[in-house]
Amino acid sequence: MSKLSGMTGAGGRIAAALRGLPRMLREDLWTAPVDPVPPMGAPGSPVWRPAFGMLLTLVVTVLGVWHVPDLVPHGAAVPEYVVLLVVSQALALLTGMWHPLYAWWASLALMVVSVRITAYAMTPGELYPWTGPEIALQGTALFLLALRVRPRRAGLALVLSLLAGLSAGSTTRPHHYSLYVAALVLFTAVVIGAALRALRVARTELVEQSELTEEERARRTLLEERNRIARELHDVVAHHMSVISIQAQVAPHLVENPSDELRENLTGIRENAVEALAELRRVLGVLRSEDAVADGLRHAPQPTLERLDELIGKVRSAGITVTAETTGRRRPLPPGVELSAFRIVQEALSNVLRHAPGARARVQVGYHSAAVTVRVTNTAPASPGRSTGGGGHGLLGMRERTAMLGGDLTHGPTPGGGFEVVATLPLEELS
Amino acid sequence: MTIRVLIADDQMMVRQGFTVLLNAEPGIEVVGQAVDGVDALEKTAELDPDVVLMDIRMPRLGGIDATRRITGAPGATARVLVLTTFDLDEYVYEALRSGASGFLLKDASADELAQAVRVVAAGDALLAPHITKRLIAEFSRVSAGPRPPDRGRVGDLTERETEVLSLIAQGLSNAEIAAHLVVAEQTVKTHVSRILVKLGLRDRTQAAVYAYESGLVRPAGY
Repeated sequence: MSKLSGMTGAGGRIAAALRGLPRMLREDLWTAPVDPVPPMGAPGSPVWRPAFGMLLTLVVTVLGVWHVPDLVPHGAAVPEYVVLLVVSQALALLTGMWHPLYAWWASLALMVVSVRITAYAMTPGELYPWTGPEIALQGTALFLLALRVRPRRAGLALVLSLLAGLSAGSTTRPHHYSLYVAALVLFTAVVIGAALRALRVARTELVEQSELTEEERARRTLLEERNRIARELHDVVAHHMSVISIQAQVAPHLVENPSDELRENLTGIRENAVEALAELRRVLGVLRSEDAVADGLRHAPQPTLERLDELIGKVRSAGITVTAETTGRRRPLPPGVELSAFRIVQEALSNVLRHAPGARARVQVGYHSAAVTVRVTNTAPASPGRSTGGGGHGLLGMRERTAMLGGDLTHGPTPGGGFEVVATLPLEELS
Repeated sequence: MTIRVLIADDQMMVRQGFTVLLNAEPGIEVVGQAVDGVDALEKTAELDPDVVLMDIRMPRLGGIDATRRITGAPGATARVLVLTTFDLDEYVYEALRSGASGFLLKDASADELAQAVRVVAAGDALLAPHITKRLIAEFSRVSAGPRPPDRGRVGDLTERETEVLSLIAQGLSNAEIAAHLVVAEQTVKTHVSRILVKLGLRDRTQAAVYAYESGLVRPAGY
């Protein structure tokens, strides 16, 4: 050690690597976790458990039976310990479905033990310990391991398996054995296992990636929708604010000889309104986005429920039969509620246009003392099957709008194959 | 001479408010009110106002289309002053390109309102030159709509006229241009009307837009 520590450069690095080797080996071949068992139906393992388990059971049974004659001299009765060895070996491999590392260690240990116990009885000239069944057993253990650990660890295990076979064989009486055949078969098993694992990892990553993208897209849609809603609501507020500023200026003209106090007060109201407008401009500057321009919504005032008939007329001309009814006393509602109710009807109807062409739609607006309800239902589409994905956008917007006002939104299919959206917007919280 | 004003806005409070404020000003008279773009077209034809105060956002026919039709009508004399709640954006710019002579925020003070009506009616200066210039400079770059009618090119203008055009685009009034070029104001007025005739434009606001969009004047920093 003192000699090594005196070295520099490459020598030092090699020494460090050598010192780290035991730890690396321990981690790779014992302590480091293996990949978790992929869940049923997960990518890369569509039939992982049931079918694979049956196949493995069959394989180890056949291998076990095939293995028995290797361990018993010709013509002799099968001793109990041989049966025990074979059964243990089979069970070890079966546990390899869940704990491939331990299974591999167990198989290796059982191989060494069986060589120790049975070698005395063997006739020289047999392939030993690398008989056909033994190679297959070790190959299966390595294959199971390679399916679940990094290729480097599987490679290390392969080398260790071969060394163990070599040492087990060489410490018994001199038998003929074929290290090359064993090396080739075991190497192939590891390569196939590693390849399958790589495939599974790649697919899992792909799925994760697309899930992330999907999540990202959903999040962005939500933000855009909120942005749009916030923009509209601020817009309504700004509109009212500018009317306040005008009225505050007009008021002194409406009375003869307004007092100084009145003038002062009205000036104060106007100044506050103008300041609030300046802030709103700033907020709207932040909220503005490219699609606001495309929306073209600033060519027209923000809609209220009064313009429902106009909207329904447009939808009718697009080929949907719409009936509308209003219950309760129709009266002006807070601007935010009016706007949201209108937009919910608009989005629900445009969903009908998109997903249920040829359906009949019904719009019900109910004015209650503490809430306004909006219900849009449609019958089954005339041409089924054109309903496409991506319809969540409208529902998302409706949900956001309803939530913003402290209301409830329910939606879902109706028994007849149609669809229903019901929004309840409370009035009290805002008044 | 009294300036006759028509107010087009879908909100009664705004119409009434502006009517009261403008009628209180000497030399300005509100002759009518319109509740949307279609109404504005009809009332303009009927009442022949000097200035139309036009809200951009109106039902039935928006203020921009109404402006285009009013200023595009043959023999049109009415000048349009566009009202906006708070957006100095591409819509306001679009309104200017459509023939509006200026724009005004709805929360403008009574003085600003009266001043705007007078400037637009007189037509010898840009309204709020600094802001207008900035608005034109900003949106002439990104505007994707049809170019203004290219009945004559800048090349048809004399050297002096081109110079005057670029000064108009800088937001200078006739008096300021006269001082700048050391000529009489009447001479500048003659130049301006020749420019407008040659380019087929109706007032100096359109001339400013033209100057930017044709590249005669480049917005600073681009």
